Order: sequence, then C-alpha cells, then structure tokens
Amino acid sequence: MIFGNNHLTLLHRPSSYTLSFHAEPALDLVDKTGSNGLLKVHYAKAWSATREKTSSSIKEVVKPFDWSYTTSYKGTESPGTNGQTLQQDKNARIPLELLQRRDPILFADEVVLYESELDDNGVSVLSVKVRVMEARMLVLCRFFLRLDNVLVRVRDTRVYVDFEEERVVREYTAREGEFNEVKKKLYMEGLMPDQITIAFRDANQLAHLLPVVEQEVESVCLKGTGVASPQEGR
Amino acid sequence: MSDLDRAIAQLRACRPIPENEVRELCHKARELLIEEGNVVTVNAPVTICGDIHGQFHDLMELFRVGGDPPDTNYLFMGDFVDRGFYSLESFLLLLCLKVRYPDRMTLIRGNHESRQITTVYGFYDECLRKYGSANVWRYCCDVFDYLALGAIVLGASNTLSQPEGSQPGGQDVEIEVCNADQQIISRFLRKGSNGGGSAGGSQAGGSPEGTGRGEGSPNGAGEGRPTTNGFGEGDGPPAPSNTGPPGSGASGASGGSLGNPAGAVLCVHGGLSPLIDNVDKIRLLDRKQEVPHEGAMCDLLWSDPDEIDGWGLSPRGAGFLFGADIVKVFNHRNDLSLIARAHQLVMEGFKEMFDASIVTVWSAPNYCYRCGNVAALLELSEDDSGLGVLARSNGDVNRSDGGMGGQGPRGVLMENDLLGYNRAGPARRYRVFQAAPQDSRGMPAKKPVADYFL
Repeated sequence: MIFGNNHLTLLHRPSSYTLSFHAEPALDLVDKTGSNGLLKVHYAKAWSATREKTSSSIKEVVKPFDWSYTTSYKGTESPGTNGQTLQQDKNARIPLELLQRRDPILFADEVVLYESELDDNGVSVLSVKVRVMEARMLVLCRFFLRLDNVLVRVRDTRVYVDFEEERVVREYTAREGEFNEVKKKLYMEGLMPDQITIAFRDANQLAHLLPVVEQEVESVCLKGTGVASPQEGR
Repeated sequence: MSDLDRAIAQLRACRPIPENEVRELCHKARELLIEEGNVVTVNAPVTICGDIHGQFHDLMELFRVGGDPPDTNYLFMGDFVDRGFYSLESFLLLLCLKVRYPDRMTLIRGNHESRQITTVYGFYDECLRKYGSANVWRYCCDVFDYLALGAIVLGASNTLSQPEGSQPGGQDVEIEVCNADQQIISRFLRKGSNGGGSAGGSQAGGSPEGTGRGEGSPNGAGEGRPTTNGFGEGDGPPAPSNTGPPGSGASGASGGSLGNPAGAVLCVHGGLSPLIDNVDKIRLLDRKQEVPHEGAMCDLLWSDPDEIDGWGLSPRGAGFLFGADIVKVFNHRNDLSLIARAHQLVMEGFKEMFDASIVTVWSAPNYCYRCGNVAALLELSEDDSGLGVLARSNGDVNRSDGGMGGQGPRGVLMENDLLGYNRAGPARRYRVFQAAPQDSRGMPAKKPVADYFL
C-alpha cells in the first residue's frame, strides 16, 4: 500500500532550503532487478524442495525485484538559495539529552509513506514522524522490515533541527539482525513467548537489539535570518 | 436452536459469547463441515464475498448491503480473522450462521485460517485478551481444519435478476456495478449484444478493471465449453449443457445434478496450483490439517494471478503466480466460466482479469482501518431459463420469464444463445460499499499522542 499523498516537508523560509519525505523517491531506491540477490521467506527451501518432483519445470522468478521494499531513503533535499546542502560531518551529533527533556511538544504527527504485509510473511513499512518543541525539532523516518523467521531490519533517518543555530543534523543508522538472534535477545530480556510475538510488531522494541551495519552523519547550517518551519501534508 | 439464535443476537451486537458456548458451537460446526467435500457445491443465487479480516462493523455493513442471512445465500472465501480488531466476533458470527443456516452460508478456508498465521497476525492475541486463555483460539483453529477448500457455483444466470418494479431486462447486461444504496453506478453490456458498446454510460468511477468498457468478456464458457452436445441428438427436451458436476468429467447430467447454462464458477481463496489441472483433484486432497507449506492445498490458498505467461515463481522464494493462459485452459477443461478468488487487496473492491476469466473480490473496506479502499460483493443470479435447473417457480409461470417472455420453449432458446460466444459467462452484479462509519465502532478516532520519541 502506497500512501502517495502523505509527505513531510521541512522548509527553511529564508534560504528556501527544504528536506522532504515522500513515498515515491523512497520506493525508487528499492532494487528493481533483484540483481543484488533477493531475500527469501524462511520456508522457501522446504517449499521448493517439495516441488522438485512435481513442478520442477517452473523455475522462473517472474519480474524479480526486492519484494521486501527495502530502501535507504534519507529524504529528498533541495538546496538553499546559497547552495547549502547537507555535508558529511563526523563531529556532528544529535543532542539526545536535550531531546529527552520533557519540553512541551507544540506539534507532533506521524504519517505512513508505504507499507506491505509481504503476503503474510512479515511487515515492511516506511513511516515518518515529527515532533516540534520550542527550540528544536526532531524527525524520524524509519524503515522497518520484519521477515518472519529470517531477519529484522531497521533503517532510521533522524533529522534534528536547532532553531536558534539554524542547523540541521541528519543521522542515518541502518541496523539488521537475524530473526532468531533477536528472538533470543528478547527472551533474555525476560519476555514471555506471547510478549515476544507482540514485540516483533514494534520496531521500538527491536531496534536497540539489532547490530548497527551502517551509520552516517551530515549537517548543514542555514544561518541567516528567520527559522525553519515545518510543513506537513497528508 | 434458541440458544443458537441468542448467540447470533449477542454476536451481532459485537459481544463475544462465553467460552463453553464457543466450544459447543465449534463442535457442532465441525460435525457439519466434516460432511462437506473439499469443494462445496452451491446453487445460485449466491453472493460471493472476499476477505473480512476481523472488521466486524464492516461485516455488518456487508450484510446491510448484500441482504441479511438467511435471506441472502452467502459464500465467504476465507480470511475471516486477523488484522482487524474483531476477528473473534466476526468468525464466530459467521460460524453461528453456518450452523444455523447450513444451506445459506458457505465458508471456505483462507490462508489466515491457520494456527501459524493467526499466531502472528492478531487472532491469537485477541482470543487471549478476550478470554484470558488460548482455549477459544484452539477451538477455532480446529474448525479451520475442516473448512472446505473451494466451492463450485452452479446454475448462475446469464442475465441479472432485476428488483421488482424496475424495467425489464431488455438489455443484455453482463456486468452491473451498484453502490451501497442499490443505485447502479455503471453497466456493461455483453459484447455483440443489441446495440453493442456500453449501456447507460458508465460514469463516476468503479469501472471494472480488466474489461474494456462495454466490451463484455468473450472468455470462458463460449470457447471454454465444447459445443453443446445433447442438443438434437437426444429426444425430448435438450439435455442440460454437457456435463455433470464440473470437473467430474461426467458426460450428461446424472440424476439431479445441475447444468451450467452460464458455466460454473469456481471459488477459492488464493488461486490455482500446477498440481491441480482438474477440479476433481481438489476433491482428492486430505484437507483436514493445518495449511501445509507444500502441495496443492497450500497453492489454492496462497497463489496469485499475474500478467505473465504460464506459471511463475514468486520472488519471495515460495508461492506460485499464474497467467491468463493457465486460467483459460483450466476453465475450459473444467467447464468453468469464471474463477472467483480473494486474497489480494484491490482498491476498487473487485478486479476482473484475463478477459473476465478470473475475478478478485475483496470485502474488507478501508483495510486495516487505513488503506482507504472500498469493498465489494459479487452477486450471481439464479438461472431461470429452466435449462438444467430444477424449476423453482412453483407454478408462477411468468415469474422467471424475464425479458424473454413467450418466445417458444425457453430451454431451447437459451440453448441457442449458448452456442454463441457472446452470451457466455454469468451475469455479475458487484455491490461496492465503504467502511461503516467510525462512530458505529465504539472506537475513538485515532489521535496519535504526542510521543517523546528519539
């Protein structure tokens, strides 16, 4: 299911710099040929083994593509009037301590960009949520893939905006773990089997259990006049 | 019986029934279902429904639009449970209705009617939450194992029944799309019928995909059926088309079996299997088990039609896809004019593919409470040509005469019509409906709480 009208756009008025999150460019990053190898459902081996005798003539995978809809989408950027864009910045970081403070939230929302139930083999969902406080805002664009009994993937793009400094920090973190490893860890945390089933639906309960496989931090300063203001459409 | 009626009333109010009643109900249902074959025979008229997925209030809306059971003869193609919030009430209500009106309610198995899938996608949790134990889930799963794998609809008409008082069916309508208020949204004439082209102009959305406007479907029965035998070579009235029960390979109708003036309709949750070239092979499966990962039973519940040639493998590494040629050959071989299936969300509620040889029907509006799709029912009318169908007009001569009043022996006329390509396939009325209004659900509109996420 594609929610093509949903989007989140951040606009810095003085510089016209925007960073937005849409379904279409995100889906455009999905492997459309399957040339990098395709994920298989956990029972694929058993399934094809039992078909050898009877239906072995059917071998062709029709229109191979990454049916897990895995994307490394980090948002769509359009440079400011002075050509400002996000640049790699190893020293930049998102100040978690400031974000953990219970500053009043002035605006918050969440939209789903696309979602698939993978024909009942798990879930694949790309969503983006935002919260705006007086002095800062945080955006989390999260791709969550759970392929039952195979693996769990969480790819988070966090965008932090400091209104005073007019600085944008974008942090991309890709995490991935084997399903059974994650299950073991949940068990070690003391969860009962039923709670584990429920935990597997919630990326928040899984993300910290997954090894980080890729991380990248960028930043841009839009200092001039005025402040960034969020715009959201759905 | 009064206990059952009370249970129905309680479930209709979306209140679960006590655990001991569930146990008893499931026991009765199993006794009933064990007597059914893998492929149930259903006589038209029938209203065919796709996935429900625990959307209880939308199921109530479905009954409002399609007519209340037992007044309407229903066939549900599986996936009663999971994803929605009221799987339990939805499934138990359908099961109660099945036990109460066994001949007016047909339930076949979907891929979600399985222990493994319901554990992951919600039904198990729901049972646990509502009863505090998994017993009810177990009772239900035991029923799942007995559900039929498919159904064959016999005696569907080439023409649509018209509500009383409406104009007689002077036009040869093949497809009619109605909204929830019984208004006609669009109509599609049979190709080559008088006037050709589309009738009454189809406007306002909902044009059936896969069939060109007004193009009808020259598929299936016309070419799919060997030229009618029996006609002229026998004596007396023409024999009912050419077969006994579809797929049985029987020549000539054996006692009491119904002919298929419009070709039979096969209903199955997912689709075809390369292991099944003949409906009889479905009848031979041992269905009383958890849905397996291998074999024909799995395919029937999981496979999907796709725009390909022949058979294909899903990129997921398990599951088959099948193309138009597969469907057409299968329909031909089995004297089918149409395959009705569910399993895949379609935004318009229904989608005809491959020259209308297969249709996907989806009956869960605004799926998962957020997909924004409409839902549909497929109504097939009773054939009242008298051809091969037991007369049911009870002496009311004109009742079934329809638009063909007084034109000689009806059977013969129909037989002639059947020889032509263009009258093939049952006439189909789709009723399209939206999700029940939110306030009827007793659920607050979802408002995300401001959350200090990191």
